[in-house]
Amino acid sequence: MSDAPTTSDGLRVFKPKPSLPPPPATTGVIGWMRFNLFDGIGSSITTVIGLLLLGFLAISFYEWAFVRGVWEAASRQECRLSPTEFGTCWAGVEFWFTRFIYGRYPDAEIWRLDLMAIVFIAWMAPLWAPKVTAKVVVGLSAILVFPFMAGYFFLGGDRNWFMAIMVAVSMTWFAGTMIHVAACLLTGKGLGHWIITLSGFSSRDDRTHKYPLLIAAVVAFGIVYFVIQSWQLPIVGTNQWGGLFLTLVISGIGIASALPAGIVLALGRRSEMPVIRVMCVTFIELFRSVPLITILFMATTMFPLFLPEGVVFNKLASAIVAVCLFSAAYMAETVRGGLQAIPKGQYEAAEAMGLGYWQSMGLIIMPQALKLMIPNIVGSFIGLFKDTTLVSIIGLFDLLGMISAISQDPQWIGLHHEPLFTAALIYFIGCLAMSKYSQHLERKLGAGDRR
Amino acid sequence: MAIVEKPGSGSDLSSIINDERYRAVFYQILVFGIVGWVFYSLVDNTLTNMANQGKAAGFDFLLGTAGFSIAWTPLDYKPDDSYLFVYWVGIVNTLLISGIAIVLTTILGFVVGILRLSKNWLISQMAAWYVEVLRNTPLLLQIIFWYLGAFANLPRPKQSIELLGIDWLVLNNRGLYFPNAEFVDLFWMTAIAFVIGIAGAIWLNRKATERQLATGVYEPTLVKTLGAIVGLPLVVFLVTGMPLSWELPVLKGFNYQGGTFILPAMCSVLVALVIYHSSFVAEMVRAGILSVSHGQTEAAYSLGIKPRWTMRLVIIPQAMRAIIPPMISLWMNVVKNSSLAIAIGFPDLVSVFMQTSLNQSGHAIEIVAMVMLFYMTVSLTISGCLNIYNKKIQLRER
Repeated sequence: MSDAPTTSDGLRVFKPKPSLPPPPATTGVIGWMRFNLFDGIGSSITTVIGLLLLGFLAISFYEWAFVRGVWEAASRQECRLSPTEFGTCWAGVEFWFTRFIYGRYPDAEIWRLDLMAIVFIAWMAPLWAPKVTAKVVVGLSAILVFPFMAGYFFLGGDRNWFMAIMVAVSMTWFAGTMIHVAACLLTGKGLGHWIITLSGFSSRDDRTHKYPLLIAAVVAFGIVYFVIQSWQLPIVGTNQWGGLFLTLVISGIGIASALPAGIVLALGRRSEMPVIRVMCVTFIELFRSVPLITILFMATTMFPLFLPEGVVFNKLASAIVAVCLFSAAYMAETVRGGLQAIPKGQYEAAEAMGLGYWQSMGLIIMPQALKLMIPNIVGSFIGLFKDTTLVSIIGLFDLLGMISAISQDPQWIGLHHEPLFTAALIYFIGCLAMSKYSQHLERKLGAGDRR
Repeated sequence: MAIVEKPGSGSDLSSIINDERYRAVFYQILVFGIVGWVFYSLVDNTLTNMANQGKAAGFDFLLGTAGFSIAWTPLDYKPDDSYLFVYWVGIVNTLLISGIAIVLTTILGFVVGILRLSKNWLISQMAAWYVEVLRNTPLLLQIIFWYLGAFANLPRPKQSIELLGIDWLVLNNRGLYFPNAEFVDLFWMTAIAFVIGIAGAIWLNRKATERQLATGVYEPTLVKTLGAIVGLPLVVFLVTGMPLSWELPVLKGFNYQGGTFILPAMCSVLVALVIYHSSFVAEMVRAGILSVSHGQTEAAYSLGIKPRWTMRLVIIPQAMRAIIPPMISLWMNVVKNSSLAIAIGFPDLVSVFMQTSLNQSGHAIEIVAMVMLFYMTVSLTISGCLNIYNKKIQLRER
């Protein structure tokens, strides 16, 4: 050890040699494969079997979808004969694709549905823009005010006085929201600020600053009301609604009503008032223990009996009511799970601060519980989205109903696999998007809890 | 602490809303009144409507002749049986199909869940995609897919597919045919031997555990258990002269005769139910095993317990506590979702009773109530069992 370095006073110091690089077989792609795919004989065998299975599936799918795929044909018969035998008839799916999305909605009126989709996206999109203020108002109005406009655009026809007012309110509100969002994005200040400033009427500190806002709202509403007074859309009955559009309408209403109804029911179930508790428990247990299809049958067969004479309830409305009852009961259990997860100390602390029941629920308990419940809430939304397929059993033409309709079209008779695959893909993408977004949201909101 | 008497309490009308003593009672009466009024008007409307249509409520129709045939049932049902019997047929079909589906789902789900945790990247990814794809498409779509895609396109009986190359296990467009067991005189002795075998096996295992607790000596009981459960009945079976014969399905003319069969629709419902729900079971199993903290594994290793035993004695028992409650509610879902069989014509309870019988007899309220009663009974029974189980396995913290 003569070459060991020494300090000035002659002591030898230990100095390790630089460590060797790891063996090449343990790093990079090869190392990863050795650890994750070929780690021992058993693992290697399963990998090979898995690869074979995967290869077989991929090749069969490729052959079915692309090699034998026929993209241009006038009927299923043509697909079956040319150019290869038993061609996969994508032509039929292409031909019917508009129907899958819009159902039997008249072609000339489809723009109404597209327009409403765009309006809804435009109404909701600002929620994701950090610069926009008053997001609660924007979001709530998209759920509470938008349906009136959408309902009229979907259905058309005469407006009674209530719908006339609500459609005008909805349109005014939408225009206001859009101007507000534009103002926020361009200037950083919302619409309200500009109305107050430009009117020169009062300052924000003064209580009178509400007057210019009110006057502006009333004037705008009046203008819209009179402009659209004589405007009318041709009527499209609900029996012509269908496809993905109908699926989204039913599940959208179900989802929008499930959360508030579920919160009320869950609070009722945990309430200390026995009468209210018993009622909520009965409702929740009744609707949770029976399958959705029985509720749908109940709705179609029994609602006509329940209603007073002269009131007609169409099939779509019964189905929507059934879906709402069902989803409210499920959501109530989800919310209850979240409420139970909140430590008792939080309730006691809220009480100690002198907050009343609604204050402590709204300010302390619910915000924490809702954050905890996000995965489960989205889970029930996904479930509801999937469960709306059941309305096809009671004779509504939702996406799945349209899929069975194509196989009865004389030209495309017996065409099942390709439309089913298309529908499965649509559902899969929708559900996967929801679940991935919920995971993202969970991570984002849970940031404060992580260490 | 001083108690301040609220001004005007007890005398003022507003105290009903503001005084805590009366407020709760007031609100409850209010809510009860509203709900009661809604109920009253519903019942009143219903009675008026039924009177106008000339219908009478009541369960008398249950004894009337149903008059329609049911495509498949293990029971001896004839079209001139009563509606009550149709109800029973529906219940048996529903319970049968969901019972089989529950067993198969649980097994398949456990396999997929364990594959999902495999160290092999490819296998765990394949299991993950299996779960994602199946969980994110509607069950009804899957049922229709299996029916129209596979089981409705089966060949005619003459060109039947022989499963595993066996000529008495065949699949054709009439259904899946398999042999029917016929029990002859002395078979009851084998059955009794089987029961005795199970009791003996339980006793043996208990004894072994007691001995291990007392002396610390571990004694494998697998062979003895198998001997008691399988061996004993087998010996009795052979001694009594094999009192069991199989009635094989045989192709006669255009169709198979003999044996038992299940409809193609039932096959597709079963396959779809099992595959769809297995993806949920897989996720539960994965989440359950991952919920056991890694410290448990490390602690077991540091005590010198081998990996195989760690899994069996430390991880699985703790994971079960997280797996079983959601699993039981999933079983409940299987029972409920089996009602989707109606879409492809399998005669389950909803199909034979809530659709056919309801359309024929027109007694909507009674029939809907009876169907809901059945599902509620099943559901409450299952959740009752779940509560008992939950109480039993709850962590006993000291």
